[in-house]
Amino acid sequence: MVPGLLGQVAVNALMLASMYILMALGFALLLSIMGVLNFAHAVIYMVGGYICYQLAAVYGINKWLSLVLSAVIVGSFGLFLERFCYRPFFGDVNRTMVMALALIVILESTVNILVGSYVRSVPSFAPGVIRGGGVSVSVERLVTFIIGTVLMIMLILFIKKTKIGQQMLAISQESIGAVLQGINIHRVSAVATVIACALAAVAGSLMGAITNLNPFMGDQMLVKAIEVVILAGIGSIGGVVGAGLILGTMDSFLPLVLSGCATDALGLGIVILILLFRPQGLFGHEA
Amino acid sequence: MKVKGKLVKSAALAALVILLFLLPLFVKQPYYIHVFIVTLLYIIVVSSLRTIALSGQLSVGHAAFMGVGAYFSAVVAKELGWTPWFTIPLGGLAAMFAAVLIGYPFTRVRAIYFSMVSLFGGIAIVNIIRVAQKWTGAAGLSDIPPLSPINIPGLHNIVFLGQKVPYYYFTLLLTLFSLLVLYRVEHCRIGMTWKSIAQSHLVASSVGVNEGGFRVLAFAVGCFFAGIAGASYAHYNLVLTPGTFSFLPSIFLVMYMLVGGSGSFAGPIIGTAVLVIVPELFRSLKEFSPLILGAIMVMVVFLMPQGIAGSVEQAKSMFRQPRQREVHRSVT
Repeated sequence: MVPGLLGQVAVNALMLASMYILMALGFALLLSIMGVLNFAHAVIYMVGGYICYQLAAVYGINKWLSLVLSAVIVGSFGLFLERFCYRPFFGDVNRTMVMALALIVILESTVNILVGSYVRSVPSFAPGVIRGGGVSVSVERLVTFIIGTVLMIMLILFIKKTKIGQQMLAISQESIGAVLQGINIHRVSAVATVIACALAAVAGSLMGAITNLNPFMGDQMLVKAIEVVILAGIGSIGGVVGAGLILGTMDSFLPLVLSGCATDALGLGIVILILLFRPQGLFGHEA
Repeated sequence: MKVKGKLVKSAALAALVILLFLLPLFVKQPYYIHVFIVTLLYIIVVSSLRTIALSGQLSVGHAAFMGVGAYFSAVVAKELGWTPWFTIPLGGLAAMFAAVLIGYPFTRVRAIYFSMVSLFGGIAIVNIIRVAQKWTGAAGLSDIPPLSPINIPGLHNIVFLGQKVPYYYFTLLLTLFSLLVLYRVEHCRIGMTWKSIAQSHLVASSVGVNEGGFRVLAFAVGCFFAGIAGASYAHYNLVLTPGTFSFLPSIFLVMYMLVGGSGSFAGPIIGTAVLVIVPELFRSLKEFSPLILGAIMVMVVFLMPQGIAGSVEQAKSMFRQPRQREVHRSVT
């Protein structure tokens, strides 16, 4: 019984960690490249889940295709987001923040009007359970973890290996220097926003199949993403992966002994402790 | 010219305050008075948020400190039977204590990272409130005692239970008092120090300003008033749920401040008044009314870079000689 439970919790931890990392990578990209606190990431995640639900459950499109389509649609919304919502206020933290908050209000209430706040859920991507050696594991969660990991590795390879990924790194380290070297900061930001939105949409669709969809589902996820970014330290991609794993593990193992709210409250204690000793985050190198 | 402008300004302010005092004579519907009470309380909270922002710290977890004040005051009044007149300041002190406690580690991070950490801190506080179910109730705290009756010579015995108008006057006086204190603090030496830290923490600390101490002080002062406003809300509403103080409400507070304009003292007041009262006017639209809020925000962000109050200043400087035009810069 106990090893079975542990196996489930471990898969759950990996699944949660991969979703946290997907969200946190998008959030961190926008933060380090554009200096935008993109609170709208929460609603983009939610909209991604709803689009996938709409395509798969209402229009009856193949669920894998609708996952990809959802990422494409939300990704192209990211293009709009960068061009018309963030670029006009480049470098102005306050106005981009108001813009992000306006997006939260508008998108949340639009979804609320269109679909209502009834409980819905994306059709299961991979139903079934694997049993073996006393451990039973939901295939869905395993698949979610695999997709998350693959996307994460692809993004890291993209940043490390391609020219535009290197440009992203350059801008996040020193934006003025990067611009002086001839890097088109707006083009790089547009690519980053599209990637961030597409990743959020994938995360939203996958989580929408595991848990339920509602217009306010993004809030919790955004908080977790920010927690990962703080814990990792800004400007560290590997750190996001490490912090996501730590947080995913904490969030799946601690509820075994504590209530859900106590888990979150304990998270604050840990972050405060870390800030006291390492203000730059666990893996960051600059304050 | 300048003296005349000041006179006009103070006369307009006095007229506004008198109008607010006379308001219950014109507005009879309890619901509208309720809207005004809530608006006034939020004006206190958003102004205190701006006080924190003066020192370069944009807190995105401010509603949580409102919650600390509200719950502390409500629980003490309910469990120990103390009068709310005494527990409301106690609620403010509790919020201040919490602010000092978590403000110190937060001084290690600055600017946008401070915003992220404070957001997270606010959510953690709400979770702690949820965990302490023994006192704060599983689904919410109810049966909070209302403000106890007081006997002011010359007036009748004022009973607060079930009455809107006495609460309105209480809130109005509290708001005026808080705004006066916050205004004085901003324009004394402490406020100047905060602004210097916001402009450049390196320069400020190189001339001997204790940066961490002053930032915690700003956080404590701001959270004290948020706590007082929250406690008053608790003894007015008589029911509390943790959701009132969680993530979205905190974000809305920031929104009120930025839409109003964080550069001037009037900004939070104008922003709160516009963003709370205008959606109420469109209440008949039901679920469409948040869209109006969003439209106002998009309009403000595109047309008024310094918020509503800031654009009034800008319009003024347009009429002046170009040479005298001031450089406008937001606080944060």
